[in-house]
Amino acid sequence: MLDLFFAAFLAPLRETFFQKALIGGSIAAIVCSVVGCLVILRRMAFLGDALSHAMIAGVAGGYLFMKILFGAEAHAPAMLIGSLIAAIVTVASIGFVSRVSRIKDDTAIGIMYTGVFAGGVVLVSVFRGYIHIDLMHFIMGDVLGVADSDLWVAAISAGIVLSILILFFRHFQLTSFDPVMAASIGLPVTLIDYTLTTCVSLVVVSAVSMVGVILVVGLLITPAASAYLLSDRLDRMMILAAIFGVTSVTGGLYLSMWLDSSGGGAIMLFCSLQFIIVLIFAPNYGLLSRWLRLRQALPQQLVEDILVETSRPENGLTVDQLQQKILKGKSVLKKAIKRMARDGLLEIKDRTVLLTASGAQEAHRILRAHRLWEAYMSHVGLASNSEIHSTAHKLEHVHDEESVDYLDDLLGHPIYDPHGAIIPQSDSHCSVGGVCSLSYLRDGANGEILEAPENLRQMGLRPGVGIRVGRRKENVAEWPVFLNNGSELVLDHKSADGLLIKITSVSS
Amino acid sequence: MTTNTTRVPAIEVENLTVSFGPRPALLNVSVTIEQGLLVGIIGPNGAGKSTLVKSILGFVKPDLGVVRLLGKPIEDAKGRLAYVPQRGSVDWDYPITVYEVAMMGRYPNIPWWRDPGREDREIVEKALEMVRMSDFKDRQIGRLSGGQQQRVFMARALAQGSDILLLDEPFAGVDAATERAILDVLERAKQTGRTLVVVHHDLATAAEYFDRLMLIKQRLYAYGTPQQVLNQELLSEVYEGKLKVFSGMEKSEECRA
Repeated sequence: MLDLFFAAFLAPLRETFFQKALIGGSIAAIVCSVVGCLVILRRMAFLGDALSHAMIAGVAGGYLFMKILFGAEAHAPAMLIGSLIAAIVTVASIGFVSRVSRIKDDTAIGIMYTGVFAGGVVLVSVFRGYIHIDLMHFIMGDVLGVADSDLWVAAISAGIVLSILILFFRHFQLTSFDPVMAASIGLPVTLIDYTLTTCVSLVVVSAVSMVGVILVVGLLITPAASAYLLSDRLDRMMILAAIFGVTSVTGGLYLSMWLDSSGGGAIMLFCSLQFIIVLIFAPNYGLLSRWLRLRQALPQQLVEDILVETSRPENGLTVDQLQQKILKGKSVLKKAIKRMARDGLLEIKDRTVLLTASGAQEAHRILRAHRLWEAYMSHVGLASNSEIHSTAHKLEHVHDEESVDYLDDLLGHPIYDPHGAIIPQSDSHCSVGGVCSLSYLRDGANGEILEAPENLRQMGLRPGVGIRVGRRKENVAEWPVFLNNGSELVLDHKSADGLLIKITSVSS
Repeated sequence: MTTNTTRVPAIEVENLTVSFGPRPALLNVSVTIEQGLLVGIIGPNGAGKSTLVKSILGFVKPDLGVVRLLGKPIEDAKGRLAYVPQRGSVDWDYPITVYEVAMMGRYPNIPWWRDPGREDREIVEKALEMVRMSDFKDRQIGRLSGGQQQRVFMARALAQGSDILLLDEPFAGVDAATERAILDVLERAKQTGRTLVVVHHDLATAAEYFDRLMLIKQRLYAYGTPQQVLNQELLSEVYEGKLKVFSGMEKSEECRA
């Protein structure tokens, strides 16, 4: 067992080529991922792809330049500088084309990079006698054959890029978030843009020798995308992306050892798998949590239907009885009841579902909305008698307090709905200790006048006077009130609205 | 337009309630808009202006209530109403000319196997004439000013041949001169007997521009002439807490008078 572990994990570490691949790959991955965060936030992924392809022209150019002028074979610094120049020329020409013509960015990128890439391919094939560049090597990369010079290139460009990003973090953050504001406070937005694309070129150049032209864009954006799903802050996203980059390289290298596969391929495969796992399991933006949230969410209508049905009989309902009324699957209903019990709306005693005090209050509110909507429909003559109930059943879920109060007022605060059932009073207005206008109150409420308009004061309805509300005639909008001194007054709707009462007691 | 249709109201909204949750976006809205008027819909943000527009277009299904266009339920009134959306959702670099955009208004009437006929071309020319864009008809739409672009889309709506035009904030983000030009087009469309309903946000110009105003905030607070609608009491009720702005505004109007 231990032997197996040793063979699988420790043995490769003793190999020099593996060590170099691990170090070089990790450096490249860290800096790629960190820059990649800005790349995906700016939606420049396609540009990363373009830059890596454009490089081939620069590599060939640099090679040719040194070979012809100095006779040097495969001069690494020259090839590096050549590819940087090619990348920057590509970026500049993309910017130029999209700025001076109506051609959009994405089209300009497509045109320019394929042009530069094609130039490189032609250059390499025409001068194949002079240039010894293996196109396949360039396209696929060779992480397990990393040379010392590659390591140096990676380390130096990583150092430069990371320093720039850390020093000017706020500049990059602002220009990628709100370029207009950045320009307005005097940041050199264009310069910052070019700096960012130069950084992208640098990291792409340093990573291409390891993972190849095609896969480098994956190393740039995939770890950053994984981190994006896990963090809500740019600095944390960058740190996480760097970690994902390193784990991709490490995991991928082991994978390539065990499977004896191409290094670059294994790294990107591992990186993609890592992304898929994050996509599924990410706590906030992951598929699993999304699915769970959707599953957890109870439809508000079901909750309200259960409340109203349970409020009807005196001593509760069994689940079976409830199911007959609501016509939903038993498991759905049971789950809803459990959740509502947990939220304190229901309680379950001896297999019977009962409303708690707060559940009863909710049911009361919905019932009031339902019956007022029925009264409203009959008032405006919109629905036939048979439709009224079913339409009100849908409308009772529209129970925003202000809107329901408006209906109540519009209808003259009716007491009975069209079927003759009593419309419940508003709990929030009409409970003891509350303050409301007289028009909301009914038979048996006692209180003290808090505010009264001038014309009512002259009738003896002065602030501080105690009153009792008398019985109204059916739905007639007239409010009989008994004053402390025994006199009786009948107020119309407008006067009743104007009289503010502090409720002291309610006798039913 | 025949005389018997002029009697029918252009738009009738009856007890309209629309909700997307416990709080209705529109509650008990009833209004009758006569034909041949230029009507402004005003109200604070989130007041349900766009919900009302969508209801009149038939894009949202009301919980309760009916909308009738020229006496017919909206389902049977397709083509009687043309809608001019807000600018912005259009790719101004699209290779298309002013004339072609206006011709799009005729597309509902042209079967796929036929080319636009002489009648279609005449209608389009007339519509472009009405918005004073005939001189620009071969111009690509990106090479126009903002107000001209707005007018092209009004020409497209006019070319649809509808009697009712619904415009969503046509005055948003244009300068004063452009506003005048657009208003001029609206006035002329009105002269041809069309009914124009315009979502508007600027109270300062509302009185001057429209024959009728509709003040909404979930409910219809007022519908009538600008003098009836723009009174201090109503406005302070609807734009609660922003009263100072309006008292200041009224004062400045008094100064001018």
